[in-house]
Amino acid sequence: MAVDFVTDRQAVNSALDQALAASKADETEVLMLGSESALSRYTHNYIHENMVEKNWNLSVRAVNGKRIGVASTNRLDPASIVAVVERANEIARLAPEDHDFPGLPDDTSPIADLPASCDEATAALPPEARADAVAQIVRVMYSNDLYAAGYVASRSDTIALANSKGVRRFYRGSDSAINIKAIGDTSSGYAEGYAKRFADLSPTALAERAARKCVDGADPKMLEPGHYTVILEPTALREFLVYLSWIAFGAQPFEQGSSFMSGNIGQPVTGKNVSIRDDYAHRLHLGLPFDFEGASRQPVTLIESGIAKDVVYDSYYAAKLHHANTGHALPAPNPDGPMPLNIVVAPGTRSLEQIIASVEKGVLVTRTWYIRLVDQKQTIITGMTRDGLFLIQNGQVEHGLKNMRFNESILGALGRCELASELVRSESHVLPAACIDGFHFTSGTAF
Amino acid sequence: MQFDDEAQRALDTASAKGADYADVRFGVNKDEHAEVRNGVVSSLNDSESSGFSVRALVDGAWGFASSALIESAEIDRVSALAVEVARASRAIQTHRIELQRAGKFIDTYKTPVQIDPATVSTSDRVKYLLDVDKEVRAANGVTVARSWIDVWRTKKCFASTEGSRIEQDLVQCGSALSALAVGDGDVQDRLYPGTAGLYQTGGYEVVNNARLLENARRVGDEAVALLTADQCPIGTMDIVLSSDQLSLQIHESIGHALELDRVLGWEANFSGLSFATLDKLKTFRYGSDIVTVVCDMTCPQALATEGYDDEGTPARSVDLIRDGILVGYMAGRDTASAANVELAGVVRAEYWGRLPMIRIGNVNLLPGTAASLDDLFADIKQGVYLESNRSWSIDDKRLNFQFGCQLGYEIKNGKKGRLLKNPTYAGMTPAFWASCDSIGDKSTWVAWGTPNCGKGEPIQTARSCQGSAPARFRAIEVGVGYGG
Repeated sequence: MAVDFVTDRQAVNSALDQALAASKADETEVLMLGSESALSRYTHNYIHENMVEKNWNLSVRAVNGKRIGVASTNRLDPASIVAVVERANEIARLAPEDHDFPGLPDDTSPIADLPASCDEATAALPPEARADAVAQIVRVMYSNDLYAAGYVASRSDTIALANSKGVRRFYRGSDSAINIKAIGDTSSGYAEGYAKRFADLSPTALAERAARKCVDGADPKMLEPGHYTVILEPTALREFLVYLSWIAFGAQPFEQGSSFMSGNIGQPVTGKNVSIRDDYAHRLHLGLPFDFEGASRQPVTLIESGIAKDVVYDSYYAAKLHHANTGHALPAPNPDGPMPLNIVVAPGTRSLEQIIASVEKGVLVTRTWYIRLVDQKQTIITGMTRDGLFLIQNGQVEHGLKNMRFNESILGALGRCELASELVRSESHVLPAACIDGFHFTSGTAF
Repeated sequence: MQFDDEAQRALDTASAKGADYADVRFGVNKDEHAEVRNGVVSSLNDSESSGFSVRALVDGAWGFASSALIESAEIDRVSALAVEVARASRAIQTHRIELQRAGKFIDTYKTPVQIDPATVSTSDRVKYLLDVDKEVRAANGVTVARSWIDVWRTKKCFASTEGSRIEQDLVQCGSALSALAVGDGDVQDRLYPGTAGLYQTGGYEVVNNARLLENARRVGDEAVALLTADQCPIGTMDIVLSSDQLSLQIHESIGHALELDRVLGWEANFSGLSFATLDKLKTFRYGSDIVTVVCDMTCPQALATEGYDDEGTPARSVDLIRDGILVGYMAGRDTASAANVELAGVVRAEYWGRLPMIRIGNVNLLPGTAASLDDLFADIKQGVYLESNRSWSIDDKRLNFQFGCQLGYEIKNGKKGRLLKNPTYAGMTPAFWASCDSIGDKSTWVAWGTPNCGKGEPIQTARSCQGSAPARFRAIEVGVGYGG
């Protein structure tokens, strides 16, 4: 029977052992990433792409003194493992010294798995189950004279690491997602759901939400560009946080001074009602308890009540900047430094419904699209709305709007926002909706 | 063929399980990356990956499965799984997938290479990057210098139940440098060459042609100078785009808009739809009459050039826009059949384990007549020249766009003037291309590669090319994003 480096822990450990045993480097780290991912994609109410992909990768970081080399392969027969170890070592010999390299992490203390990180039923979800979920979605669309495009996905991941200093980690997790764009003659609506257990997702409920957005947004009207009170639903807000993580919340941009956090620790950077942390252990996150060099992930408060508190570190930047390692390394080689992967935005006190009810005139944004950074230091981004833009008048969602382009400072927006009380997961973020005063729409489009 | 027996086994298994059509792809990818950041080698790694995938069509429904393990039992499992997945697709079928005829090909293709990258040692690559890095940082005020070299080798074998057997050996290389300058309340960056570096098919000559070392100091100086440059003005004015910026404009507002899967709604939930719907074919004015765009998968050096795509269609050139009129799309076998258009040979997967889909190929704007940037500036009274992309955003039907560039220069009375920082411009796709009134000639034309185009779910990265010369556009909205 074929060896399976996604599900067979013994086989994974054996590969790690073989690699460590084969290495002649001063220090060696071996990282195994394996996944089986399945996704059924549909449009016009039928499945047009349907796939199951299985792959793994063994990456070796060899260290000789202060010289580092990395090589990886997905061929895991004994000869190929020896070859990739030798190649990593050979690359390390060719590399100039990195005098700031502190050595591989050596904290061997055990790290407990979070409960329920892996649901085996989700990991092994058959194509018929995904097709059944699509069928439920399609039924809702037919009943609303719409069609849907989206996907139903399930996956399992194995992440295992060992190094020559005795660090040993293993994680196996599952994940699933449903994505629905309901499409009508003049409008579209969107809904999404994410869960470690596929059984926790309701295709019909999500489809009804997407369909309702589409129906309510029919025959959209034009909105004049300008400044508006805008409610970003969690999916729409997510990419604002993605950019903050990329440009500001890691030790590398912090060190080089390009992050707004640089020189501002202890200073106000957003409104007092905004608190952002990185917390792998939040119940909605996947719960990977260690980083990609085996260090224990620590919860890190990034912004607390509007005050800049800290950024995230890996072993390299922790040593270089004399800070504790927070366990946020990405897989080596990583020229971009550590990054938060489990953002949690603290909720507010009023529900989204209550916030909408309090808006005299405003705009509700379901989803954003193609956000890009215009100005790093000022955190200005531009992007489009899509799949459900609505005018709010006197506390009521009144009618659909044609999509708009915005240009807005992320920090500026977080300086004049109210956050809703409901937290949801959107991809790798846990966050609420946000109501932002004076949000700047600069142009519109034709649909 | 390296995997002849394994391919036949996969096709036989899929057919025996009930596939009406099946294809199988075996692949070996070898990537080498070297990167230097501020005098330190921040990344030096080789990666190798191999495996196979099977695509099966059962009663007009697709199934796909892949695995890293090339063993007989696994080939049987994956082939049967592809058919099982297709049967699940068939359970919800309102449209029957048909394949346009592609022909039967037994062939090999190899990228023409002048300098085999294997002849340039890792230590020589690192030494070169360290020299480049030193030169960037010699510019007083550069905070972070980065430079990198990529060498990508792909060997792939394609076989189908229609009898095609195609073996390809592809080589792509690229390199770039960047300079980041941090000032008082400002961050400015420059990247060279172009927006993403110079990435093309070919050997190490592609890296040499980028001339990183010769340009490192200048680019570093520009990043620092931008900190104190004047802000780009706001208003409606004439603009000239550098060839690399126009390359990205082509990518976003023509390339993606003319992918037929988008037009048909197959990407609706993620990458989006297209305003360039089928009813517009052969009548819609996409741009001015000097705008002619082709998808040419045979273009020498272009990053997407290969002999065949990942469903066995031979490389060819297809007209997309001729004299400003929409005349074609980039289509694959299933979408071409649905829309009754010709194949473009652009169906590609990120690697052996991913589902092939329509990807932007070599979408080239044909050169015009302007001999130089000065020619393009000549009759502009007040305008801006914009170079090298910093940000790009466009709506999900490819109409409303806004781009930001790394640097600009004022154009006044036909002459290049002061340096400007944070230049941006915006518009709607057809109106923008209709305003194009001059394009650089062949001497100014570059086959710019885009190494990181994202599309599909799960998302796949693809390598495309948009060949372009610099060009002039009239009465464009400039300075958007900084207007308060």
